[in-house]
Amino acid sequence: MIDITLEVNGKTKTLSVEPRRLLADVLRQEFGLSGVHIGCAHGACGCCTVHLDGTPRLSCLTFAAQCDGSAIRTVESIGGPTAEHALQQAFRSEHGLQCGYCTPGFIMTLVPFVEEMVEQKRLPGDEEIREAMSGNICRCTGYHGIVAAVRKAVNLGLGGGM
Amino acid sequence: MMADRPKHIGARVQRFEDTRLLSGSARYVDDIRLPDMLHLSFVRADTAHANIVEIDTSALADLDYATWVFTGKDTAGLSMKAHQDYPEMQYSEQPLLAEGKVRFVGEPVAVVLAEDAYKAEDAAELVFVDYETLPVIGTMAQARDPSLPPLFDGWASNIIVQRQMKGGDLEAARAAAAHIIKRTYSTQRQAGVPMECRGVVASYDHADRVLTVWSSTQMPHLVRTYISEELDLPESRIRVVAPDVGGGFGVKGQVFGDEVLVAWLAMKTGRPVKWIEDRREHLIASIHARDHQHTLEAYVSADGRLLGLKADITVDNGAYSTFPFTSAGEPGMVGKVLPGPYDFQAYEATFRAVATNKCAIGTYRGVARPSAVFSQERLMDDIAKELGMDPFAFRLKNMIRQFPYKNVLGFSYDEGSYAQSLEQMQALLAEDVTEAAASRGSSTKRVGVGIACFIEQTAHGTPDFTRRRVPIETGYIAARVEMSPDGEVTIDLGLQNHGQGLETTMAQVAADALGVNPENIYVRHGDTLTTPYSVGTWGSRGGALGGGAVHLASLKLAAKLKAIAAHLLQAKPDEIELSNGNAYVRDAEQRFIAIRKLARAALRNVDQLPEGMQPGLEAEQRQDGPRDGTYSNAVHAAVVEIDIATGKMKLRRFVVVEDCGTILNPLVVDGQVRGGVVQGIGSAMFEHFIYDAECQPLTTSFADYLMPLAPEIPNIEVHHIETPTPLTPLGAKGLGEGGAIGPAAAIANAVANALDVGVSSTPLNTNAIWKLSQHLRGAA
Repeated sequence: MIDITLEVNGKTKTLSVEPRRLLADVLRQEFGLSGVHIGCAHGACGCCTVHLDGTPRLSCLTFAAQCDGSAIRTVESIGGPTAEHALQQAFRSEHGLQCGYCTPGFIMTLVPFVEEMVEQKRLPGDEEIREAMSGNICRCTGYHGIVAAVRKAVNLGLGGGM
Repeated sequence: MMADRPKHIGARVQRFEDTRLLSGSARYVDDIRLPDMLHLSFVRADTAHANIVEIDTSALADLDYATWVFTGKDTAGLSMKAHQDYPEMQYSEQPLLAEGKVRFVGEPVAVVLAEDAYKAEDAAELVFVDYETLPVIGTMAQARDPSLPPLFDGWASNIIVQRQMKGGDLEAARAAAAHIIKRTYSTQRQAGVPMECRGVVASYDHADRVLTVWSSTQMPHLVRTYISEELDLPESRIRVVAPDVGGGFGVKGQVFGDEVLVAWLAMKTGRPVKWIEDRREHLIASIHARDHQHTLEAYVSADGRLLGLKADITVDNGAYSTFPFTSAGEPGMVGKVLPGPYDFQAYEATFRAVATNKCAIGTYRGVARPSAVFSQERLMDDIAKELGMDPFAFRLKNMIRQFPYKNVLGFSYDEGSYAQSLEQMQALLAEDVTEAAASRGSSTKRVGVGIACFIEQTAHGTPDFTRRRVPIETGYIAARVEMSPDGEVTIDLGLQNHGQGLETTMAQVAADALGVNPENIYVRHGDTLTTPYSVGTWGSRGGALGGGAVHLASLKLAAKLKAIAAHLLQAKPDEIELSNGNAYVRDAEQRFIAIRKLARAALRNVDQLPEGMQPGLEAEQRQDGPRDGTYSNAVHAAVVEIDIATGKMKLRRFVVVEDCGTILNPLVVDGQVRGGVVQGIGSAMFEHFIYDAECQPLTTSFADYLMPLAPEIPNIEVHHIETPTPLTPLGAKGLGEGGAIGPAAAIANAVANALDVGVSSTPLNTNAIWKLSQHLRGAA
């Protein structure tokens, strides 16, 4: 067992974990964060994406023991229980989700992308948006609504309207 | 006139369920955690066909933690039985845990339980199974070879079922034909792949004898019925809950042995038991889909009239039959739907399911129709080509235009927009068709346009299942609508919502009938404790039948509200209108009362009720499907660009013109169509579940089983025609599956058009396109 300290969604906790325990399982079980979803457990679908020290990371391919001292954010911290973040709102209006299982992973992958585009003051083309989500699989939406949601969220960030 | 009467049906209402799904607050089955819970890990067959010589679990005794192990000896007699009452059908029963023999890689042989999921998996690896391997039946040809031994004792051959359906005079059609066109088409084996794998948690209360099962299923009531019958428990003491379900697509629309097994283990151990399927298990051992071969022979007149069709249909079913749609369901559906939107009156289909040492075929979005439409629409293009006709013109010439239409098998088609949708599509594609023709001169880059026309029998009712003698038995959906004393509404719905937006669309439907806002309606579903008995969400029946049940139940409730309002406002019930949360006297708008006051009168201030009226505000309705279902129609079109040197194909455009009758919520309808289309694109271009000659699965992760990803997919253009059906209460036809039905055919036709070749099989991946374009590289 290894003692590690994680700062998760702003709260710090020290816990003892088996070296093999996946970050996804620790977040789900020890921190009660059910928004971390496991879709394949082999790093191919992006459902389990969280932010590790500000960078999107697959929590099914990361051992919790590797993360000692790190700050982790999950979807629960993005827009609160009513999903108020601009990208979450855009997912709602553009129908960027259906069953919702892949959704937290898409949000965690795409929030930094939207922020980066807004910072660079540019609206990406659909091809670039699609490339940005190429590590996430959605089985329900056909990606159409997700692309539209990203476009809308960047637009809003740039001060534009719809 | 009354001011501003909102109409919610047809409005683009944003979904209520999105908040919990977006915020990470949803609860899927893996989020169920109970005190003292045991975790289950399966020991699965690693060989496709073998006798089990010995199962040695002695190594578990050396572990420093507690484990529980069970094999087929413990569960002897418990099995999945999926029998369709056809005299020709050979029955396969799958024991919950293999007894004596395994018949596919992934078949459950034993289970190990431990207090931690990681430890259960470790311990399962210590179970040693000694197998005596047997030769496999690995192909349709082997399954049809009478010299090879059958997979089950007592079987005469590996043909599970073979039947015919026919109508009209096929010999006369053949004799009258100027052209006879015969082709063989095949569609590959696939997996359904919802992003949430399946999973089951069960807990048994010995004192009250109540079993609770949480399962990622589309049909909680059917799971309850099957468990009741198999474990001999009263249904009244079984509660099955489908919590948030992360996609189903038909995969979760069958009852699985593991649902029964986990329930049995919870009773046996006296502790809650949890099993969460991993992706490898899902890919190899949940259910598979498609894997068809069709040989079609069309009889066509000199002027391009389709006179008759003969079909020979084989499905590689795998080893076992799935409940409740059975091994006969998939090939039988092809026979039923092949006549399609075309007007001809001579037909004969022979269909069969054959047994191999593979995972069973079950229902997956479209159920046989994507394969049937692939063959039907490839054939239409092949005929047009042979006759030198334009593919649009050939189809339009043969398309059904008079409704209702009785097809060659006696099925009645309600009104649709078959020709109109194709004409609309033709206009939308005009520039692409020109560009494709111009690219014919190129030996480096070709553009192709392909179309697929189809109809889809949806929301079929009990008579359709009775006719087929299939164990689903019935097709109704039930809804109970209740208003509480504060005027808020609860709908308890027999459907299960796993992405379809039912928590929103059903609220829209009830809102119109009750005169309240959708926001004041709470839709509950997926729990047998609270919802009335129903068959679940499958077969494109949610909007048509669930919506119909909610509508009619809400009208019953509205009638009572009107009676109370009439009494209090001193008017007649038929003068009362419900709108914007109030009951008004028509043409006297100053006379109104808030609906919440009526609710309070009905449930608390009951002295205000008319004399003799019972307190209470609830109504129930069961809505069955029409005898032959209601027929949605659509045209799909693909525009592809192919690089001849590499075989790389780019899907440039995908266009849908569809007609699902009354649209309840365009946001949801577009989403269902687009999502279905991309699954269909997966079938057409990427997804292929491959077995080697020994029936070892080769595509057991997303590294090998290729899913459609965002960069390969274009924006999907969707156009609507609305032809409401008289056969359902709201005029809605089924919608959920249609998107997935056309893409394989449309894309294959586009490839055939681009490369000027025949295309007879899917998937059309880069390798396949490279082979199909060989002749063009030769010429370069």
